[in-house]
Amino acid sequence: MRPEEIKKNADFLIKTLPGMEIPGIVKFRCKYKHMVEFAKCFGINDPLYVGPKENGIIACPAFANAFSAKLYVNMAQIILHQDGKQRGLVMDFKKLLHAANEYNWEDCVKIKAGDILTIKGQIGKVWVNKEMRLFGEIFQTIRNQTGDLVCKVKSVATIAPGGY
Amino acid sequence: MVKIKDIIVGQVIRNEFDQITRELVKKYSKLGGFAKLASNPIHDNDDEAKKAGHKGVIAHGLFSFGFITKLFDDFIEKEKYGKLIKIGVEMRHPVRCGDLLVTEAIVNKIKGKRVYFDVIQKSITKIRIEINGKVIKQFEAGERGYISEKDYARGYIKRKETDEGSLYFRERINSPGYAVVELFD
Repeated sequence: MRPEEIKKNADFLIKTLPGMEIPGIVKFRCKYKHMVEFAKCFGINDPLYVGPKENGIIACPAFANAFSAKLYVNMAQIILHQDGKQRGLVMDFKKLLHAANEYNWEDCVKIKAGDILTIKGQIGKVWVNKEMRLFGEIFQTIRNQTGDLVCKVKSVATIAPGGY
Repeated sequence: MVKIKDIIVGQVIRNEFDQITRELVKKYSKLGGFAKLASNPIHDNDDEAKKAGHKGVIAHGLFSFGFITKLFDDFIEKEKYGKLIKIGVEMRHPVRCGDLLVTEAIVNKIKGKRVYFDVIQKSITKIRIEINGKVIKQFEAGERGYISEKDYARGYIKRKETDEGSLYFRERINSPGYAVVELFD
């Protein structure tokens, strides 16, 4: 992609994206097997997280990685209109990376196997650095089936030039 | 047992993980919520990762972040002695298969029952072993050219004497961050 096209796309996204609600609401079912296998990726063997199903395990804190990533599926479906043409938010997913992540569990409840989470998101600030790498904040609020907060997530995604 | 009266500014907690393999990164792709995005191929396909400028597969940023979360969860013994309030990191450099991941957190402030930490997660990447200046063993990073001139210029490349010879490795901070935990007592 030519530098002037990269600059034009960056200007468009910086103007268009901030404050945008991420379309759709993501539902995430917390399955026992998924929670256990996920915890084991990190060498976790505490029965609180990987014990028998009948014991009523809870999700390890890192499980926030799994449900917060789901919203990116919806982000991939965002269609924008630039210069009278339709375009996706990300043009090359290989150029997309995580740049920062924050989990906030203040006043949150634990996640149990069988919970169904609802994830809503919004895009915050969007900017480029001097190498024209694009950065964007994504804010997520995740609640369980009874409306209790389970986590708030702030992430920063980055796309290398040519990928947006 | 972890009690607020026993915590001091400057105290360090630490964990290490040296089992990052291609199989584990691939498994994480399936479990980490990326499946519907068909995952990003830079995490499980060397050719695709090269096309994206990475010289080989890299682990997910959230995967290495998981070990930071684990460090604090272990510290409070799964909410036996406190609860996690907030954990955040920047993802500055990718972590690769074979890396040793070292996560350290240093207490920088105590306020009420809350303990505030600075977090540093380092990745240690083996490059080669030399004897009298002759390379006798190359690791993946050496073979595939993961190490750049910038790594040398920034002082990331270090040497350690081992039984096999002089081990050259890269040590750099992949994720600096912060955390807040609240202790019960």
